[in-house]
Amino acid sequence: MNEIALTSADRFDIRDWLRLEMFPHFLCPGCGHGLALRAFLWAVHELGIDRDALAVISGIGCAGRLSAYVDANTFHVTHGRPLAFATGLKLARPDLTVVVITGDGDGLAIGGNHLIHACRRNLDLTCLLLNNEVYGMTGGQVSPTTAAERYTTTTPAGNCEPGFDACKLAEGAGATFVGREATLQVPTLKNLIREAIAHKGFSFVEVISDCTEIFGRKNALGNSPEMVLRQKAGMRPDNWGNKVDRPFRPNPFPTGVFVRKTRPEYLELYEAMTAAARREERD
Amino acid sequence: MTAHLRNLQGNAACALGAIAAGCRFYAGYPITPSSEIAEWMAAELPRVGGIFVQMEDEIASMAAVIGASLGGMKAMTATSGPGFSLKQENLGYAVMAEVPCVIVDVMRGGPSTGMPTRPSQADVMQARWGTHGDHPSLVLAPHSVAEIYSETIRAFGLAERLRTPVVLLYDETLGHLIETIATEPPPPEALLERKWAEGPRREYRPYAAGEDLVPAMARPGDGHRAHTTGLTHDETGFPTQDPERVARLLDRLLGKLEHHRALIEKVDRVETEDAELLIVAIGIAARAAKAAVGALRRQGVKAGLFRPVTLWPFPEEGFRSAVATAKTVLVPEMNAGQLVLEIERLAPAGVTVHRLGRYDGEPIAPEEIVAAARELVR
Amino acid sequence: MGGMLQIRLSGSGGQGLILAGRILAAALVAAGRRVAQSQSYEPTSRGGLSRADLVVTDAPADFPLVTALDYLVILDERAAHASDDLLAAGSVVLCDTRRVTSRISGPFALHRLPLWETAIGVGSPRVANIVALGALAAIGGIVAPDLLRQKVVGLAPPRFRDLNAEAFDTGYELAAHAPTVARPSQPSAML
Repeated sequence: MNEIALTSADRFDIRDWLRLEMFPHFLCPGCGHGLALRAFLWAVHELGIDRDALAVISGIGCAGRLSAYVDANTFHVTHGRPLAFATGLKLARPDLTVVVITGDGDGLAIGGNHLIHACRRNLDLTCLLLNNEVYGMTGGQVSPTTAAERYTTTTPAGNCEPGFDACKLAEGAGATFVGREATLQVPTLKNLIREAIAHKGFSFVEVISDCTEIFGRKNALGNSPEMVLRQKAGMRPDNWGNKVDRPFRPNPFPTGVFVRKTRPEYLELYEAMTAAARREERD
Repeated sequence: MTAHLRNLQGNAACALGAIAAGCRFYAGYPITPSSEIAEWMAAELPRVGGIFVQMEDEIASMAAVIGASLGGMKAMTATSGPGFSLKQENLGYAVMAEVPCVIVDVMRGGPSTGMPTRPSQADVMQARWGTHGDHPSLVLAPHSVAEIYSETIRAFGLAERLRTPVVLLYDETLGHLIETIATEPPPPEALLERKWAEGPRREYRPYAAGEDLVPAMARPGDGHRAHTTGLTHDETGFPTQDPERVARLLDRLLGKLEHHRALIEKVDRVETEDAELLIVAIGIAARAAKAAVGALRRQGVKAGLFRPVTLWPFPEEGFRSAVATAKTVLVPEMNAGQLVLEIERLAPAGVTVHRLGRYDGEPIAPEEIVAAARELVR
Repeated sequence: MGGMLQIRLSGSGGQGLILAGRILAAALVAAGRRVAQSQSYEPTSRGGLSRADLVVTDAPADFPLVTALDYLVILDERAAHASDDLLAAGSVVLCDTRRVTSRISGPFALHRLPLWETAIGVGSPRVANIVALGALAAIGGIVAPDLLRQKVVGLAPPRFRDLNAEAFDTGYELAAHAPTVARPSQPSAML
């Protein structure tokens, strides 16, 4: 097989980008993460990125396991730390396209500090945060994005915390590209991820995924198609007036690109500023 | 650059030693009494084409160092007790994924925030057992500014050659001590380097090791497209829970440093040939012990010093030969008794082991060791 | 010049004692000796006790910290008695007359000199450390005065060079012409 020809072909076949020897995969039936992975690899394919120059770094959790399936340079690191690992890798190897795959627990709870500072630092990384509202791998505990009143194994009487808006956090922390899409529309999600990877600087994409087996079951949200349809009911593309039908749709979430701005990229700035530094005399 | 004498602080010598060893990446977080290392690296690294980054916390610093090393750079970080505790998580990852890196712990008084500006040697056991799970530890314990320079260089060589994190452990007194030293970068051919994967991808097994138990590392971009994980993995690099493969990985990880003891071990012996009283010490306590051995010899006491420059794995054979003529062993250390546990484990039958400890933030003075020794030989 | 010398410059934070220690150490290295320098690392800029210690040897020192002082400089009352345990017969103590108010006495050579006032006279109390180095050079026994003066000027930022040189020279003259309480036990080979 000619691998280069497959990468540059117009036609996208996800099997060209997967380590097929790793299959069957471990995701539950109905899990949205597989669609997210598909959108990501489709975007990489369309961008013409050489898989040898692609590094995928993931943390711990269901989203964290995805890196192992990608036929690229892949790193499955410690819980919450993939952005910090990625920062070191990208600084050492700016020639690589470095993409982080994290989850709502990995990226917003234990790794929240790293996310804040990655947004602020503006190193040329892309972070895909797969939000399924729950700690799935560990059996369905409440996560930072679990909506209020939802049931999980650690909120048996309902969640008394509000869910976290990851995109507002990223925007507030200074990310130069922020967007959100759901797994409902894979081509739309692919286009968003594609723009995020192409963006120079730190880009953050929240992917609304669904956990049918654990979260859905616990909250009687129906089967997988029903859960995906609920995404559709909640989605508010950025060109819609969000206020119009709010009374009829209690949990809307905006989608699309929220931030798209230019700020000097970290490594370019570092190199420019240190080049000017002159050697000091030291005794 | 040629060797010339200059007055250099211990922490500065560490930074310059790292650069001489080829370190080109530093990620850190400010913490007393190690911050001078970061400050020197921030100034020096750009001059040699390297990268310095101050991360958001100690954990991120350790992660970034591993990330840079996975990318192919020689990388290091430095910290002190509280930060060393936080670094243990990713230090364990570096052990498991076999990622070369150097971690400096400039010891201060503890536990907790303790005494940031006062010396201690209370991380001897944290350096050995700090991260969870069964794991090997490679720890070097220099005792002078000159040795901080040379041991930093050695730390990088061992880290790279053996694909392991190496901890450089010294106390605040040495970190802030200024001594007259010669800094002579070793020639490039004298440096131990990493083994990189070569050859076609289909023949490459990321964690398959030959007789030396050290697997060749895939450099991103070279076409091997390896997977690296902190999960227990087999030779393919992918996770496994198959008992046989799990045991094989841990056997190799734990055996790797044992296999290379000849390369790793380094000891210093002062007048041990006929020593009846053997003093075992590291760091600034070993400097006091050196002065004490001289004083005791002048007083007619057959005293000697055994100093494990490689602290972990403990140089057992070196100690056994040094202790051969001794009736008594004295372990002065600035903690409540850590190194002494290893000495008690290794001391031959009939040899009594005594501890001289202080943990009040003051270095042990030579006269304290002399007094304790005279009491023991009386 | 041989043998071990142990020197302490002490006072309060902000008096430039650590810098003075570095200058003295640089001169000693230029003279072919080896120096181990240690100092207090508490937040000294806020005016606490501050000190710079030098252990001077020909080969690397076994123990690099001071255990018995040959020379002690005291520039502030805060440091007046902090080093009492390290003094012995044969020690040389150089003490400021104004900033040290309590009585310093013992079986050692004591030089009480107006280092602080001299520094003010030269232009700034901030050069009291350099005045003290000049006085130490005149008392002798540590390093050749010319070599020390060279480092006092060479290691100062450009705008302080003239001030430092004047401070050093004035301190030197001050000690050279002052009557001393007792002569140092170690005769100076350099004067």
